Amino acid sequence: MLYRTSGQFKTTYESDQALFPVKQDALLLGVILLAAYVVFPLTASEFTFKALLVPVLIYSLAAMGLNILTGYAGQLSLGTAGFMGVGAYACYKLTTIFPEMNVVVALALSGFFSAAVGVAFGLPSLRIKGFYLAIATLASQFFLVWLFEKWAWLYNYNASGAIEVRTMEFFGIVITGPTATPVTQYYFVLAVVTIIAFAMINLTRGRYGRMWKAVRDMDIAAELVGINLMRAKLTAFAVSSYVVGIAGALLVFFWKGAAEPNLFDIPLSFQILFIAIIGGLGSIIGNFLGAILLVALPVILNVLPDTLGLTINSATMEHVNDMIVGALIITFLIVEPHGLARFWALIREKLIIWPYPH
Amino acid sequence: MTKLSKIGALVAAGGLALGIGVTSVAAETMYTPNMSYRTGPFAATGIPLMNGQRDYVNMLNARDGGVGGVMVDFEECETGYNTNKGVECYEKTKANAIVTQPWSTGITLQVLPRTNVDRIPILAPGYGFSPMSDGNTFAWAFNPPVSYWDGASMIMNFISDGDMNSLKGQKIALLHLDHPFGKEPLPLLEQYAEEYDFELVPIPVGLKEMQNQSAQWLQIRRERPDWVVMWGWGAMNAGALTEAVKTRFPMDKFVGVWWSGSDDDLIPLGEKAKGYKSISWNVPGDYPVIDAIKEHVVDAGNSMVEEPADMDKVFYQRGVVMSMFLVEGIKAAQEHFDVGAVNAEQLRWGLENLNITDELLEELGMAGMTAPFQTSCSNHTGHGGAWMLEWDGEKFVKASDLLKPDRASIEPLEKEKAAEYAENNAPWPGRDGLPCE
Repeated sequence: MLYRTSGQFKTTYESDQALFPVKQDALLLGVILLAAYVVFPLTASEFTFKALLVPVLIYSLAAMGLNILTGYAGQLSLGTAGFMGVGAYACYKLTTIFPEMNVVVALALSGFFSAAVGVAFGLPSLRIKGFYLAIATLASQFFLVWLFEKWAWLYNYNASGAIEVRTMEFFGIVITGPTATPVTQYYFVLAVVTIIAFAMINLTRGRYGRMWKAVRDMDIAAELVGINLMRAKLTAFAVSSYVVGIAGALLVFFWKGAAEPNLFDIPLSFQILFIAIIGGLGSIIGNFLGAILLVALPVILNVLPDTLGLTINSATMEHVNDMIVGALIITFLIVEPHGLARFWALIREKLIIWPYPH
Repeated sequence: MTKLSKIGALVAAGGLALGIGVTSVAAETMYTPNMSYRTGPFAATGIPLMNGQRDYVNMLNARDGGVGGVMVDFEECETGYNTNKGVECYEKTKANAIVTQPWSTGITLQVLPRTNVDRIPILAPGYGFSPMSDGNTFAWAFNPPVSYWDGASMIMNFISDGDMNSLKGQKIALLHLDHPFGKEPLPLLEQYAEEYDFELVPIPVGLKEMQNQSAQWLQIRRERPDWVVMWGWGAMNAGALTEAVKTRFPMDKFVGVWWSGSDDDLIPLGEKAKGYKSISWNVPGDYPVIDAIKEHVVDAGNSMVEEPADMDKVFYQRGVVMSMFLVEGIKAAQEHFDVGAVNAEQLRWGLENLNITDELLEELGMAGMTAPFQTSCSNHTGHGGAWMLEWDGEKFVKASDLLKPDRASIEPLEKEKAAEYAENNAPWPGRDGLPCE
């Protein structure tokens, strides 16, 4: 009833191919955007920004980058964290070598560095597939973290071996460093994520998206119909690493403020991969749902006993938390093996025909 | 699930999140959260220290009704040594906390710039990074009683028997964790190597190789160093000690920093590790304060120690000393400002005016447990000094007189690195108009 599509006639091809052929979808997105842009900033506390909203957005973006590669183009990658690191270190070097450079420009450029590294490590994908490719990308993961540790030029010979973010302004507003207010940083991250998400939705619906999906579903068939495999795979690596690199730069510059090389180690890669898988491979919305489940939920569970006035030892709560989140992941995957995005799609299908399923 | 309830769930999740963040604290307590790690890969070394910290404060609460009549709420926020959790804990606690105890170099680095803005002192006893000693740059950070550079200086002093020139031509291996913490002594040791003409061989141990150090010890066997100095943490210590025993490295030529001297790492090796040394700024032993903790906390069932014997270990007692620094800071602030419950800004003053004397230690039942020291505006560490402990096959015993760091060689380096940090994080507020009284 609420989601009734009858009466919404498509009279042109254009309207049939629109981003939101169903009015309610656009409405729902509007509500979410309204919440993200207006309601949250007005109501959220500093803790909510720093521990929930900003990390969820950044992890969603990283998962979105990985989803382009793994979900759309079918190339399994375990090197996400390494590419995030390339983005972060590139942004750090750019802002220290050219202190006058606008941080937005530095951010946009740093994506190109990770894209280049991604393409370089994507070359083996022309020969190897599946699990074997995963091992090859794993090598990039180890190599890059090793490089971040050993190449002192990358962290400007800092004695502690970490990169630190100085205060930077964007047209007079402080957006990085300790004096930046969480709400400014949130808006900035939100704007970046919105723009990239919009670009990715369109990209995956367009020529390249179709190319990637064809390669994913059966690369020999794709080749036979005239798709250049090399081009398809390498563009997927480039676009994916670009997005992932920007997520890495955001992670350090707009969330943590300082980072050590081992932040970009394999656990982060796995976390991003799990977000993409649980959210749903081959979808954009899934990345956000997955990040809410894997990033925000543990934080909420952690503060829940306090809010309810219970005193539970923090370490015990951490163990309980792991169990709850683990159980939820398994439950969701049993209920819907194709991830949360598919789960939502099913709900939507049901809603469209509700209350008369026949 | 309907569409509405779906949206509802989303909104509820958001709304739930919005409402959280500030835990209400009753008026007359002082909230001193500790970012503990009782889970994760470093839990084994973290737990004894955190038990000691917690028990000392709880003892004061039970015996004296808090500090100066005000109860201290020593709550833990679990990080698992994970820097992401560090952000979460810091944000969660900062509204009411009068101190931040970050418990990891990575979290310290993240939190350090924020504390200037939020005006909360950081207390990092025996960790953090050495330039924090420069109080004129790091107004809100404290790392009593000695810094890592002090530690490196004292170790070199000990192994050269007080005459650094005797090290000429010797070879000293630094087995260190390949992580900001492990790299910490390098600048000073490199300077010494040049000055006193000995050969320094840094041997890094990656975070993934902590438990399997055969490659590193092969290198040590090949290099035949006169001494091995270890900067290790967590599973790395046990790994190195086991490997040293296996390769029959002379244990009396093996010296660790204070985080590499946990009884639990050495008990399994027993006699075989006899002669291993670790520098420490607390001496284990029987102290009245430990008896008081046993009586008021452990016997009352409020402690997390598993058996009373754990209370004799170096790390547990070090935790007690750490909390003593915090409590003495609170006391100093209470006296100076003539208040009961001190706030963060007042505690900062207290920590800057710590005066740990022998008489005070005697009074606290901690005579000889740690070295006396004093902090000031320009000196946030105190540089009290430390002792060399030696493993006798069963326990650690004191093996030297009080060692003192060579401040003349460290201070210029501290100033230089502090200035460098301020520059990297420009604009750095420095003391930001805080008066020096």
